[in-house]
Amino acid sequence: MATLKDVVARRPIAATIRLTVPAGAARPAPPVGPALGQYRLNLMAFCKDFNARTQKYKPDTPMAVTITAYKDNTFEFTVKSPSVTWFLKKAAGIESGSGRPGHTVVSSIMLSHVYEIAKVKQSDPFCKHMPLEAICKSIIGTANSMGIQVVKDL
Amino acid sequence: MLGRLHLRLRPLGRLSSLQPPFPPPLLLPTTAAAAHTTPTSPANRPTLSPAYKQPSPTTLLLLHQSKNRRAGKGGEGSFCTNRAAVDAAADVSAPFYSAHIRCRKRDAEALSEALMCFGANCISMDELSDHGDHDEICLTSIFPDGQDVSACISNAASSVGLDYVPNYEVSMGKQCDWVTNAQESFHPIEVINGLWIVPKWRDPPDPQATNILLNPGLAFGTGEHPTTKLCLLLLHEAIKGGEHFFDYGTGSGVLGIAALKMGAAMSAGIDIEPQAVTSARENISLNGIESSKMSVYLVPSKVNSPNIDSAKGKFDIVIANILMNPLMELAEDIVSYGKPEAVVGVSGILCEQVLQIKEVYSQYLDNIWVSEMEGWACLRGTKKRI
Repeated sequence: MATLKDVVARRPIAATIRLTVPAGAARPAPPVGPALGQYRLNLMAFCKDFNARTQKYKPDTPMAVTITAYKDNTFEFTVKSPSVTWFLKKAAGIESGSGRPGHTVVSSIMLSHVYEIAKVKQSDPFCKHMPLEAICKSIIGTANSMGIQVVKDL
Repeated sequence: MLGRLHLRLRPLGRLSSLQPPFPPPLLLPTTAAAAHTTPTSPANRPTLSPAYKQPSPTTLLLLHQSKNRRAGKGGEGSFCTNRAAVDAAADVSAPFYSAHIRCRKRDAEALSEALMCFGANCISMDELSDHGDHDEICLTSIFPDGQDVSACISNAASSVGLDYVPNYEVSMGKQCDWVTNAQESFHPIEVINGLWIVPKWRDPPDPQATNILLNPGLAFGTGEHPTTKLCLLLLHEAIKGGEHFFDYGTGSGVLGIAALKMGAAMSAGIDIEPQAVTSARENISLNGIESSKMSVYLVPSKVNSPNIDSAKGKFDIVIANILMNPLMELAEDIVSYGKPEAVVGVSGILCEQVLQIKEVYSQYLDNIWVSEMEGWACLRGTKKRI
C-alpha cells in the first residue's frame, strides 16, 4: 500500500479499477483479463500476487479489489474483505435479505457472529480507526435492515 | 492530492449505509445458477469451531460452513452475489458484456460502487483529472453473461440518487482483444548472467547468450516475476550436469526449459491447467527441444496418471512454484517425486507465509534454507533419507 511519501511523489494514474474476484482463484479470464488487459497491465503478476495474498481466506470468497493503474503500465492494488451483507447472509444461512425489512424476519444470528464479522472488518484499511463497538453497531443496523434478527443465544 | 484519497474513502463509508435500504432484487442468483443453490435449513446452523488450518478470527467465520465448500466449478450453496461470474471466471473464453457508461464526474465514484453491488464484475474509471473541463466521464463496466445490464444500471443509478439515467452502450467482449493487450507488456529479461528469457515475437538482444524463447499465452512464467527468478537462481546453483528435473505446476514450462539449457539431462512437468500444458508444449517446440528430453502432463487435481506414478522417487531436483495452500496440502506428493537427498524447492509464497511452509516441509526436508526477493520467498532443502 502506498506510503504518504509515495502519495506525494505519486506516479501519474491512468485509471482506477474495481473488481470482485474469488479469493485464491484469480485467472487470466473475464473479468480480470479484459479489465487489466485494457490498460496493458501484467495479468499474470496480478493473479499470482492476488492469489498469494488471499490464501488465508476460504477459497472462492468474493473479495473486492481496487487496482490503481499508473500511466507507465505498473499498478498497485488493495484487497478488501467481502461486504457486510455477504457475511450476514452466510452467517444466517440465507440467500437474500427480507423483502420487507422491519416487518418480516428472515433469519437470526448470534451476537458472537456480529463480533466475528466486526473483527474481520476492522482489518480493512478504512475501518482501522473505528472502535470495535461502533463497527458492531453498524453491522447490527445492517442486519436489521435486511430482516435478520440478532439474538444473544440461539 | 490527499483530498482525492479522501474522496475515494468517503463513498466507501456511504456504501455501508447504502446497502441496507436497498435489498436489490438482482442479488438473487441468475437463472443459470438458480438450479444449484439451495437455502440451508436451520439444521445447518454454523458452529464457530475452527474447521480449517489457522485459528485466526478472520478465518473462523469464513470457514465454518464446510458443507458449503465449493468443489471445483460446480459449487453449491454459495451466497456470492456474482455466482454466475465466479463460474465464468474460470473459463477463459467466457463471453462477457462490456458497457461504456457516461455520467457526471462527481457521481462517478458512488455510481461505480453501486454498480458493483448490483451485479457488475468490474468497473474501471479513467483518472478524473485527465478529463479537463468536460463534466462527463466514461466508466467501463464488465458484466457476466446472462446479467440484465439495463436493469442493473438503472437500479444502480436510482440507488445513488441520480436524477438522470446515464447513457450507456453495451457490447459483447471478445477474448482476442484483451489477450493481445496483456501480451504486449513482455520484454526480454536477463535473469542471470548469460541467461535471457525472450518473448517469441521479439529478437534476443544478445544472440550469443543462452536464450529461452517463450510464448507464455495465458500461463504463468515469463521470467519477470520474483518467484520465477528465485527458482531460476536455485536451478542455476543446483544443476551441475545430467540431472533429472521435475517441475510441479509447470505453467509456461520456463523452469523445465531453463534446466535443460543449464545442463540437465531431462525435464518433466505437470500442471492442472490445460492452458498451461498447451503453452508449455508450444514453448518446448519453440526452443527446439526433443520430446524425449522434456515432457509435460495435464493432471486432474486429485488423481495422478500412471505415467507419473511410475516416475516417483526418480528425480534429482523438484521445484514447485505455486501457492501456499496447495503447497501445504500436497507437500507429501511434491516431495515424493524426488529421490533421497534430492534438492526440493518451493516458491510462490510471500515472506510472511514462510514459517507455515517451513513447519510443514521440515518433516520431509533437511538443510532448509530460505531466499527472498521483493517480498517473495523460496524455500529449499534436501529430501530426507528415509
